[in-house]
Amino acid sequence: MTEHVFKGIFAAALLAAPGAAYAQADKAFFNGKSVTYIVATAPGGGYDTYGRLVAEYMQKYLPGSTFVVRNMPGAGHLVGTNALYASKPDGLTLGTFNTGLIYTQLAKHSGVKFDLTKMSWIGKAATDPRAVIIAAQSPIKSWPDLTKMKDPQNFATSGPGGANFVETLALTAILKLPIKMLPGYNGTDDQLAMRRGEIVGSIGSRSSFEQFVANGYGRFVGQFGGTRKDLPQMSQYVKGNAEAERLVRLITAQGDIARLTAGPPGVPAPQLAGLRDAYRQAMEDKDMQARADKLGLPVEPLFGEDVAKAVSEALNQSPEVVNLLVEGFSKGK
Amino acid sequence: MIEVMFGSLAGLLTNPQTIGLMLIAVMIGLIVGATPGIGGRLSIALAIPFIYGMDMTQGAVFLLTMHAVNGTSGQVSSIMFGVPGDGDDAATTIDGYPMAKKGEAGRALGASITASGVGGIIGAVVFAVMIPVLEPVVLAFSPAEFFLLAVLGITFIAFLAGKGQIFKGIIVGLFGMMLATVGMDPQTGTARFSGDYLFLWDGISTITAVLAVFAIPEMIALATRGGSIAMQGTGDVRVSYKQLFQGVLEVPRHWWLALRTSIIGAVIGMVPGLGGSAAAWLCYGHAVQSSKTPERFGHGAVEGVIAPETASNAKEGGSLLPTLFFGIPGSSGMAVMMGAFLILGIQPGPAMMTDNLGLVWTLIWALVVGNLIAVTFLLFITRWVALLTFVNVAMLVPFILTLVMVGVYSSEGQWENLLVLLAISVVGWGLLKYDWPRAPFVIGLVLGKIAEESLHKALGLWGMSFFWRPLSLVLIALIAATIAYAVYSSVKGKSGTPVGAGS
Repeated sequence: MTEHVFKGIFAAALLAAPGAAYAQADKAFFNGKSVTYIVATAPGGGYDTYGRLVAEYMQKYLPGSTFVVRNMPGAGHLVGTNALYASKPDGLTLGTFNTGLIYTQLAKHSGVKFDLTKMSWIGKAATDPRAVIIAAQSPIKSWPDLTKMKDPQNFATSGPGGANFVETLALTAILKLPIKMLPGYNGTDDQLAMRRGEIVGSIGSRSSFEQFVANGYGRFVGQFGGTRKDLPQMSQYVKGNAEAERLVRLITAQGDIARLTAGPPGVPAPQLAGLRDAYRQAMEDKDMQARADKLGLPVEPLFGEDVAKAVSEALNQSPEVVNLLVEGFSKGK
Repeated sequence: MIEVMFGSLAGLLTNPQTIGLMLIAVMIGLIVGATPGIGGRLSIALAIPFIYGMDMTQGAVFLLTMHAVNGTSGQVSSIMFGVPGDGDDAATTIDGYPMAKKGEAGRALGASITASGVGGIIGAVVFAVMIPVLEPVVLAFSPAEFFLLAVLGITFIAFLAGKGQIFKGIIVGLFGMMLATVGMDPQTGTARFSGDYLFLWDGISTITAVLAVFAIPEMIALATRGGSIAMQGTGDVRVSYKQLFQGVLEVPRHWWLALRTSIIGAVIGMVPGLGGSAAAWLCYGHAVQSSKTPERFGHGAVEGVIAPETASNAKEGGSLLPTLFFGIPGSSGMAVMMGAFLILGIQPGPAMMTDNLGLVWTLIWALVVGNLIAVTFLLFITRWVALLTFVNVAMLVPFILTLVMVGVYSSEGQWENLLVLLAISVVGWGLLKYDWPRAPFVIGLVLGKIAEESLHKALGLWGMSFFWRPLSLVLIALIAATIAYAVYSSVKGKSGTPVGAGS
């Protein structure tokens, strides 16, 4: 009990900006109010499923509130995120979007009308580490095998600016890998292309390839962060190369802060504390965990300030990495 | 094998709860399909909360039935009002709506509804037959083949444009292809023709463009003309079951066409990456090109209704194959479906063939039975629905325009699409007024995008040598033959008809 109180005071001390008074979580504010939860993709798919789950259980812990999920797809999550950022900061608009927008912001992309460091972070629901995947028929069995290949190997990526495009481009450039990038593989196109044999490998979220590997069509050769220890960590392969280490940390952060929930900048402290409270309770709800488990959605939450800190750290990159990202987004322009 | 096959059918039909669920699924699927702008993907996503706790088989049958009959009802508004529900329904509009204008809505609907059902059932048969050869067939289609298939479809424009209008057809087709380039360049990531307008970055929405070119101009034409949609139906104002039944009989009369387009549709559905509308349009093109009297198309040829409808329902069976047996969904709709399967405890992948053959057969039968229920139901109610074509347009047009605008907005949830609708409608109205062909526009828009993306990939993978892949050579031969035939018939047509017979 005393420990809880101590933790509470400690958290409050962290939360409180210099001079600001300690904010009591104001849950009564949400009674009778309607909260819009923006999902930056079309219905169906991971963001939508997580978003609907989070909204449903946050509503449960904000008595009297009504959560409405609104899908705002377009321009690779930019439309929904811009709308979320520009919404009124009264705590009644929240949303979820791709963590890959960290890259987009770092690259100073013209479509970005937000600053992730300023958003009101509520929490993140999962860890979805990035991994390197190689097609089953390829002789490449490990990451060192790949680096030693004589001929360039075909790697599928999404269109320029997509998360795995940026990651493949930056890794290839910094580590001088024998990789030929083939952009334009969206959705599960890359899996089919690996089965046909035209594509050797790809970088993607581990969860999206788990099934593919289980079916014997491919193998993981490395993983960026994550809690499971069954795969070699990419960080061990880049030891000693400072620039590559920074890049691997950036890609790791990308997977660590998956399925996030945030509000626009400047949500008043009492409301924000209320939302963070409800988010924590939602994540710890046994019923919610059982539902997520059935959906095959891992739940590894992180809350409020911790997420804000992780986002700020990820956005704090060296000029070299920033230049690489700018190049990754403007290739061909 | 045989035992499992018929055991599954008996299991499906003797369980009243499953039959009840299928009836509900058919109703939901038909309603969603009839509403422009709401696709099958959304209906599955929204149905997911309801399948928690359902038995594995029942849940899968429910979702699959709902998805399978989705394309069946969109044709009703395409034929009666010229308002397609999505990209593949637009192909049905081209001949279906002229039939309705001639007072033959009943016949057109009878033919198209039956064609949908037949397509769905043949699609299920193709599904069953293809299981052993799934792997080699699906893996034979790479970006090189996608590119050539898209080009083949584009060459059909020569036939779709109609006699003496081939250049108009090419111009309209190129306009469609030009609009297909709007949005993010898949290769360089440059935003093309879209400036800072984020809503354009994903390209021109197909459903918006299709409604702008087909629905809005027809509504303007109707409103200025007055009267009712069916102009020549004054003698027989009732849509009789007789007329409907005549339509139904059109499908067996054209059984060879229906069989071919069903198989083509199912195979295109099997190969992920070509997208739903491609099947309907390729089959429509095929119907025109293989017809002895191609000039009837666009003016109410019943084959023009049968071909796209068989294809669009047949592809649903096909698209399930890679999802179930590879665990690789072929479309966004199937990706949502796969998520739902996982919830139900179905683990898609190669093991389905050995561990879960009973379920696979149940799903195949569900496709067949679901299509039969949908067809019977639609044929039953159509008689009254078709009466709407005899209603005064002053009452009809505002209602349809509202439906169109709601559809355009809700398909992507972006109000800017209403401006796109307005802009393209002006072009669409011009095309209608000056009697230019409109079908090439959709072909250019739908296939232009596939052609561009897959050409980039094929060149990146193999360079120019991709033309020498065996399947590529077959497709190149088909393209050459199509062009040669088009040139031949146009030359022959010119010397055969008197000078001045322009249209």
